[in-house]
Amino acid sequence: MNDTIKIRIVKDKIFFGIICFLSSLTVIPLIAILWQLLRKGYRQINWHFFTQSAPSTLDAMMAQASGSLIPGGVANGITGTFLMVGMAAVVAIPVGIFSGIYLADKQKGIYASVIRFLTDVLQGTPSIVIGIIAYAWVVKPLGAYSALAGATAMVIMMLPLIVRSTEETLKMLPESLKEAALALGAPYWSVMFRVLLPSAFGGLFTGILLAVSRVMGETAPLMMTALGCTAVNWNVLKPTSAVPLLIWQFYNDPNLIDMIWSSSLFLMILILGLNLIAKQVAQKWRI
Amino acid sequence: MRQENISDLFFRRALFVASIFILLICAGMVYAMVSGSWAGLSKFGFFHFFFSSTWDPTLGHEQYGALSFIVGTLLTSVLALGFCLPFSLSVALFIGEYFKGKKVANVISSVIDLLAGIPSIVYGLWGFYTLRPLMQGWGLSEQGFGILTASLVLSIMIIPYAASLSAEFIRMVPRQLKEGAYSLGATHFEVVRSVMFPASGSGIFASYVLALGRALGETMAVTMLIGNTNDLPTSLTATGNTMASIIANQFGEADGLKLSSLIALGLMLFLITAVINFIGKMIMKKFTV
Amino acid sequence: MIKVMKLVNYFFIATAILVMAACGGKNKSNASLAGAGATFPLPYYTLAFKTYQDAHQTEVTYGGIGSGGGIRSLKDKVVDFAASDAFLSDADMKKMPAVVHVPTCMGAVVLAYKLKDVKSLKLTGDIVADIYMGKITKWNDQRISSINPNVALPNKSIVPVYRSDGSGTTFVFSDYLSKISPSWKSSIGSGKSLKWPVGIASKGNPGVSGTVSQTEGAIGYVGSEYAFAQKIAYAQLKNAAGKFITPSLQSISAAATGDMPKDTRCMITNSPASDAYPISCFTWLLIYKDQKYGSRTLGQATSTVKLLNWILSDEAQKLTAKVNYAPLPKKVIDNAEAQLKTVTYGSTPLLK
Repeated sequence: MNDTIKIRIVKDKIFFGIICFLSSLTVIPLIAILWQLLRKGYRQINWHFFTQSAPSTLDAMMAQASGSLIPGGVANGITGTFLMVGMAAVVAIPVGIFSGIYLADKQKGIYASVIRFLTDVLQGTPSIVIGIIAYAWVVKPLGAYSALAGATAMVIMMLPLIVRSTEETLKMLPESLKEAALALGAPYWSVMFRVLLPSAFGGLFTGILLAVSRVMGETAPLMMTALGCTAVNWNVLKPTSAVPLLIWQFYNDPNLIDMIWSSSLFLMILILGLNLIAKQVAQKWRI
Repeated sequence: MRQENISDLFFRRALFVASIFILLICAGMVYAMVSGSWAGLSKFGFFHFFFSSTWDPTLGHEQYGALSFIVGTLLTSVLALGFCLPFSLSVALFIGEYFKGKKVANVISSVIDLLAGIPSIVYGLWGFYTLRPLMQGWGLSEQGFGILTASLVLSIMIIPYAASLSAEFIRMVPRQLKEGAYSLGATHFEVVRSVMFPASGSGIFASYVLALGRALGETMAVTMLIGNTNDLPTSLTATGNTMASIIANQFGEADGLKLSSLIALGLMLFLITAVINFIGKMIMKKFTV
Repeated sequence: MIKVMKLVNYFFIATAILVMAACGGKNKSNASLAGAGATFPLPYYTLAFKTYQDAHQTEVTYGGIGSGGGIRSLKDKVVDFAASDAFLSDADMKKMPAVVHVPTCMGAVVLAYKLKDVKSLKLTGDIVADIYMGKITKWNDQRISSINPNVALPNKSIVPVYRSDGSGTTFVFSDYLSKISPSWKSSIGSGKSLKWPVGIASKGNPGVSGTVSQTEGAIGYVGSEYAFAQKIAYAQLKNAAGKFITPSLQSISAAATGDMPKDTRCMITNSPASDAYPISCFTWLLIYKDQKYGSRTLGQATSTVKLLNWILSDEAQKLTAKVNYAPLPKKVIDNAEAQLKTVTYGSTPLLK
């Protein structure tokens, strides 16, 4: 083996080492945050956490005085989050995927470039600005804060991720796949749904999962659209609570501040659960 | 044959309609922001507002200018992107290439997904209670808050976006391409550098653009760690403010001229994001042609 | 790995079921009211409204989005009532149809500090003003040590902490300082957010108290209910009558014993009463005087006025003390009730 080859092999090994090192470092902040959440929050999570609505500051004060756990839970937040994220996903996922397909098909052309450009710009909009816009578009006309407004804000936040990940994933599929299917005489929509999208499932899912994870943890836009609610609410035209809103409420309350950790811990476990389930489903479908 | 054409027509129409959504949303947003910021911008003048770093909410002599926030936003986002780049790229290669399909990759992948799910307020709190004392202890910053602290937390927040998406694109590089390079005697590193990056380059670039977008618009975590002083930051460890952060802080209580100025800031952020995206695309074009 | 995934699956389904079960316990209510506004009284309002809800079959939602947000929501007519720590100025009142201010409880702004061995601290208004203007920089400054003869003050720098977000607490604090110090009034003035010359900014009450508790030598202004509940060290302030007063529920209520305008819009900082804490304040709920607007029904209007009337009742006022807010003195309650009686639906008054 001559020297050049030796150098190349060394470079290869060094690169590999750096990759492994940096990857393991990335795990550290997560472990640090998770540790804090677990340490401070595990005690609050019990049966009541899921079934009871948020406690008032008096309940917390009395509980602290007697040394017991703060009563109540975050049921109103959980149902609100599910309601709004569910509504948002029902709209954002199809619209996002279809837009992504459209952009992947039309690589050239001014209209497509403009849409692509605008999607990226939309991603950079602060969540509070999206909240302000949803307030102007949904809350004002309806005359009330509502879960619908919250879901609207969420749709706007989810779209860029879903659109771009769909587009880029489809772009990476080999042309031969599409051409083979078309050559068999299949109509385009069939090619898309039966061949291309299943192959692209991995990328699609990642984009959708990232989008859902993001909106589940956003507070600012919900403050201007869903407002919050002390009880479990399923009416989409009324103010609704959400877990991040509750976290904000607990943060501002001197007696309820301990509930932040358990609520955040719950949110994280929920998202982990979602991710794991989604990965299971994706693996089943992957070619 | 006719049936095919009709169903295809519907499908293509549906795709087009979906794409209009984005156009409508953005157009609606720009319209709402322009009309909301009209009062402030017409009083101060667009360019003066952009380049002025005075932010004085005192009644009687209100003066608003966007420069300190623009600088703060750009500094924190670019720094965050810079910090996250080596880590997210490494993780992407780790799960997408080097340990593809193995258990370790699944674990790291789940870890990264968890990072995406942490609410931004929790990042802010963690930064406040854990990172800030560390920064003070290491002597990096006297009071702990500042551009550097905020950028560090921001970089952790955007790692999942860059890493997860890039990993997917790296994973999708066709095996034939890689095997072709191997058969020519390339080392793993060389295959990654000369085959995988060009093949998945567009996707990786898009994922970093999305990550940068996230950083530009992040509100809660930044506002708890950046120190909230409305002057131009003098150094990396100085305190400052970003556009998203001041909008979040002041919007609840603002009205009149101040409200209009805040909306103008939102509009400027929109424009700046557009400009950064445009520059990024130009750079990409240069590299691919 | 599959086992873990199965477990997570079950967890997910279990959560969904539990949460569905939770809705079973919802009571059927006839009306629902929504209000938004100040974060200062948020803990009290959530408690009060929850109590009201259980007894009166009316769902009440309150969002703490800030006084400005609340007033904006009222302007846009998307809420039934707004909550604000600062009453509407005459100029603002002109921009809206007539609004009735109903005070609900009292609170104060206290000065929290972090000094290792200092158990009690006395301060005066102009010392505080000068600290925040950067004129007094050390804890053992002659002006501070002269009024604290038995306390060993260290030679440490003072780190003032202020609110980064627009806030009613800042408004009350700066209103007081403007009354005390003419140089404060001319250079910084009063308002919900100001141009602070020195110090660290932090978000919200928890931000300020967190920063103060973590920074040796820091001093910050916090809402009283926050300080009382968290048991942080706070200073005694010299009031207009010359006495050093410890902030407490009694000294806060004492600030409201002076004359009050009929529409209840007044700032009670720097009160002349002898036992009053000088930085006390009211917080108000605002509703339109004529409740017949938009598609508002008589039922909705009646429920709103009933709620506000209940807040002035003994039952609600007793709740304030339980959560570290001060109850309204009788004179103020009478004033407020008189104001409520002027609220009408079209031409019919709603409270008999």
